[in-house]
Amino acid sequence: MSDGPLIVQSDKTLLLDIDHPLSTECRRAIAPFAELEKSPEHIHTYRLTSLGLWNARASGHDAEQVIDTLLKFSRYAVPHALLLDIAETMGRYGRLRLESHPVHGLILISTDQAVLAEVMRAKKVAPLLGAKVDDETVTVHPSQRGHLKQALLRLGWPAEDFAGYVDGQAHDIALNEDGWKLREYQKLAAEGFWHGGSGVVVLPCGAGKTLVGAAAMAHAQATTLILVTNTVAARQWRDELLKRTSLNEDEIGEYSGSKKEIRPVTIATYQVMTTRKKGVYAHLDLFDSHDWGLIIYDEVHLLPAPIFRFTADIQSRRRLGLTATLVREDGMEGEVFSLIGPKRFDVPWKEIEAQGYIAPADCVEVRVTLTDHERLTYATAEQEEKYRSCATTATKKNVVLALAKQHADDQTLIIGQYISQIDEIAADLGVPIVKGDTPIKEREELFAKFRTGEVKCLVVSKVANFSIDLPEASIAIQVSGTFGSRQEEAQRLGRILRPKADGRGARFYSVVARDTIDQDFAQNRQRFLAEQGYSYRIIDADEVLPR
Amino acid sequence: MSDAFPSFAGELRERSDEDLALLFSARPDLITPVPADMTALSTRATSAPSLLRALETLNQWQFQVLEVCAALADPFTSKEVVALSDPAAELVVKHLHKIALIYRDGSGYRMPRAVRDILGNEPAGLGPQSASPIDFKVIKKAPEAAQAVLNKLIWGPPRGQVGDIRKKGTPIEWLLENNLLIPIDTSTVALPREVGIFLRGNKVHQELMITQPQLEGPQIRNADIERASLAAISNTLRWVEELMNFWSEETPNALQSGGLGVRDLKKASDHLGVEENCTAFVAELAYLGGLLCVEADGRILPSTNFDLWQNKEPEEQWRELVELWKLTSRVAGLVGRTESRNITALSTELDRSNAALIRALVLDLLLANPGIAPTVKSAQKAILWRYPHRRGISITAELVEWTLREAEWLGITGGNALSVYGAKFIKDEDSLGINSALPKPVDHILVQADNTAIAPGPLTIEIARMLSTFADIESRGGATVYRFSESSIRRGLDHGHSAEEIKTFLSKTSKTQIPQPLEYLIADVAKKHGKLRIGYANTYIRCDDQAMITAILNDKKLEHLNFRQIAPQVLISDTESDETMDELRRAGYFPSGENSKGSVVNLPIQKRSKSRPKPPRIIGEITKPSEQMLTAALRTLRTGERAAKKKPVGEIPRTTANETMDLLNEYLGKGVSLRIGYADANGGVSLRIIDPLSISLGTLVAKDHATNAVTPFKIARITGVTTA
Repeated sequence: MSDGPLIVQSDKTLLLDIDHPLSTECRRAIAPFAELEKSPEHIHTYRLTSLGLWNARASGHDAEQVIDTLLKFSRYAVPHALLLDIAETMGRYGRLRLESHPVHGLILISTDQAVLAEVMRAKKVAPLLGAKVDDETVTVHPSQRGHLKQALLRLGWPAEDFAGYVDGQAHDIALNEDGWKLREYQKLAAEGFWHGGSGVVVLPCGAGKTLVGAAAMAHAQATTLILVTNTVAARQWRDELLKRTSLNEDEIGEYSGSKKEIRPVTIATYQVMTTRKKGVYAHLDLFDSHDWGLIIYDEVHLLPAPIFRFTADIQSRRRLGLTATLVREDGMEGEVFSLIGPKRFDVPWKEIEAQGYIAPADCVEVRVTLTDHERLTYATAEQEEKYRSCATTATKKNVVLALAKQHADDQTLIIGQYISQIDEIAADLGVPIVKGDTPIKEREELFAKFRTGEVKCLVVSKVANFSIDLPEASIAIQVSGTFGSRQEEAQRLGRILRPKADGRGARFYSVVARDTIDQDFAQNRQRFLAEQGYSYRIIDADEVLPR
Repeated sequence: MSDAFPSFAGELRERSDEDLALLFSARPDLITPVPADMTALSTRATSAPSLLRALETLNQWQFQVLEVCAALADPFTSKEVVALSDPAAELVVKHLHKIALIYRDGSGYRMPRAVRDILGNEPAGLGPQSASPIDFKVIKKAPEAAQAVLNKLIWGPPRGQVGDIRKKGTPIEWLLENNLLIPIDTSTVALPREVGIFLRGNKVHQELMITQPQLEGPQIRNADIERASLAAISNTLRWVEELMNFWSEETPNALQSGGLGVRDLKKASDHLGVEENCTAFVAELAYLGGLLCVEADGRILPSTNFDLWQNKEPEEQWRELVELWKLTSRVAGLVGRTESRNITALSTELDRSNAALIRALVLDLLLANPGIAPTVKSAQKAILWRYPHRRGISITAELVEWTLREAEWLGITGGNALSVYGAKFIKDEDSLGINSALPKPVDHILVQADNTAIAPGPLTIEIARMLSTFADIESRGGATVYRFSESSIRRGLDHGHSAEEIKTFLSKTSKTQIPQPLEYLIADVAKKHGKLRIGYANTYIRCDDQAMITAILNDKKLEHLNFRQIAPQVLISDTESDETMDELRRAGYFPSGENSKGSVVNLPIQKRSKSRPKPPRIIGEITKPSEQMLTAALRTLRTGERAAKKKPVGEIPRTTANETMDLLNEYLGKGVSLRIGYADANGGVSLRIIDPLSISLGTLVAKDHATNAVTPFKIARITGVTTA
């Protein structure tokens, strides 16, 4: 029996012992076909899924290679049935192929007539197909390419897509590596994406996903549409592109609530794209307004439903999804994979931290004991009001104020869900606040002041959950959130993960009311980060409050 | 014997001790129990059950030769058999003689009537013998239509139906005229045996199956076989353990009709993460091993044997179960089938008499073909050659498939080819080498910040048991992933562990530091746990917190329990304490039970059946007799013979009912005189000398020498028969 670092479980999870000398080699070997599920301190969990195995086939790995890798690194004997299952699953890939035919256009081909017959009979697939050319070929409506691929995937007969991508309108874009260099993992991520054609890159917050986007644009050398969460993020993208690439101001357009510019590189917000006028999505035409060579979806975990639907129609364009946290409480991760593309790159947060590209973080859960009066109010609250009742108590606010005072010298963000609560906190501390109704201009000014250190403490609502680049923020105090959202917690931690000039670590406080639903939500919220190896420290509010 | 030909019993009598010993070891049922003398032996050897057993030992080739013998009229020679089949048949004829399916008559052989009866009137699809001479040359001149009729009948069945055989101008008429067909009745004709053989080209069978079909399938590398087999061995042992532990927690109830219900089977399959047929197999395995018990009240519980079994080394555990699997007549593969009703695991409907035989044949086949992973089809072909017989509805082919499947689950094979462990097991070697090949148990875990603990290998029993009381298993395999949650910790406290105990255990067993959130989790649950205590004496609740007592007393959800407050800190109720406990938990409290001395009562950790395990009995074949048994049997027989010979003439013969029938049948209508003892209506027995003529409706019709008249004798009154 070998003494490898990998343990293959019967439920198709792979446990990787990262303290093992061969763990790095093993990680590299299994990364192409196994999906990283979680990466806590000692044992990382990967999972073998059909999708993962098919992606591996798509990028040129065959079943034999996969099986050899498992056998090579496995610590214990691998069940035979599991190996057979892998071979069988991988064997299903490529029996169907999508190709471009000079006469018939887009066609679905199979050398296995039985498979073709099976999928043609399937209710969900039949309407997407056109006329039968011969026993092995059937035409496909070009606009249905994405839908067809999705439907076939669900049937368990993934089609290999040889129909290629349109190049889009060419446009010169180069990285301007002056005084900085693309990091190794950023380079790998961009290349991984480019070779795969389309897909999602998962990198921790603060690890420079914008640059991965820029590098992908440099690969594509074509007009690019970038979709971002909000206007502030759009402007940050523009600034970053101006600084890091050969693009100039005239080449970059902003398509948002306030401006409607269409330029070779256009940055649009999800919000404007999904705005409806008289029930019609007025701006979805933007996708067709230009012969885009590349479409980038920033924070792809937030992709709204209308864009999902539209994305299915533009399968011939290259698509890059960027995210730090591909967990959706609505369970739509699978949709992201099948429409944008499979996960092309993923790396444990702690590994980037070890390389020094994100700041180490100390996560602290501050447990607050509510007063008897507050407990009574909580106990009698209606079910749907329970969370609000315990999350917005005065006791909690006092703890937040005490924490803010303790860190008066640090750049501090106070993040909350309920506007009345954060208004109160801002007023008590006498610090500015950024929330939904703060005008863009004022927001930008405040963020700029915060970056320079003129403003030391900022209270923000959930508008600042994502994409807001505040490099010097080192303390975050979370007072309330969107119930048990795992990705929100991670994104909020992400706000303070940019490496600090003096190498300081960051600290993330989550203030939680003891023995209430707040504590249950906190446990769920922390799961993603715990699985990424962030260990929460629990302290009692008494340690914070002035005596 | 004064007849023109020797009797079967007579021939047996003349066999040497060595030959008889060979016969007995081939057909052990002949001396179980040992018959009194040679007549009794010959009767048993030609009885239907014994003959069926003997036929089942034949492979397809031997059976074909037997059919050729049956196609020939008595007496026949080895040469005649060879002429109709293949030179290799000569050896087989000798074997058939050895096992007494045919007996010797000078230089030729005869086949006992009973054997012919069992093979049927139409051996190998050949018709009856013709009574009239046949001119084979005439066949060539047969008109086309007649030729077509013959062609239809060549390979059997040899009978054909026509409207009326007497109709003029038909090919049938022509064939009947030329003796190429025999009339059976007014609408049925048959192809005479001689014509059939002639048309078959002087052969009996279309294709002779002289050798066993080759196993087909890919050659597997030894390393791969061993790997797969080890994984399977540890999987099976884990499955058994998991299933027993699961049923100790969530005990299923047997169906009214016996056996494990479909829903419980599915639940257990979900728990094990395997297919239902595999779960049924594992359950059967545990049942065979006496690891579980079906209680009188229907609960299916692990037995105390399970605890003993768990403490054994893996090799011993495995061997114990596999031995039983090899011998059992129960067929787990049948579970889920519908015959007269649904067949369920652990039920009484799983026995199939030839299961163990087929299993043994499959294992032998694997042993003879090392490294080959046989396809199911080729294995079925090979086994059906080796065992072509059908007893009732045959499931031989399925049995082969299931045996291969189960052998793979058990790790006897790995990747479907025989593993070194399986080979050693079949050869019954002392040490199989499993213990040294399986991973060593680990005695530590790794606790991680996401509230999971990982055992990076099989855990030692003590640690696994303790851990599973307060952690849920999330993933199984080479390693085990445990998850801690509020409810799992609560379960641990329910089992009587204190928070301190759990923490100490974790820090002692974990190689890594216990993350602070986990310590908090344990402390939080412990803090809430056991605030309430419930006792048996008419169920009381006491709690130091008077407010809580008041809360419970006023809790609308608990109103139906009718609590009464008997002291500021104590409530009582008439409801059963279990129910009260459940209701309180449901209402969101964390009660724990206490006994009359005021200390907390712990739930039993693992439930065990109180009855003694009664593993299903094994319906097996009669085992091969030992050397000693053979000698003893021979001695008994020979003594019996001598005693029989000493019987003075004039004494009233005494034979058993079987022997009586046998002798009467043998001499029926042959003009031989027999002496019989005959009881009259008053019970007085007299000696009669008779010539038996026919038997019908329990009556022997014979010519009585005393009266010289044909007289009916009631067979039931005949006390014995002997030749005059």
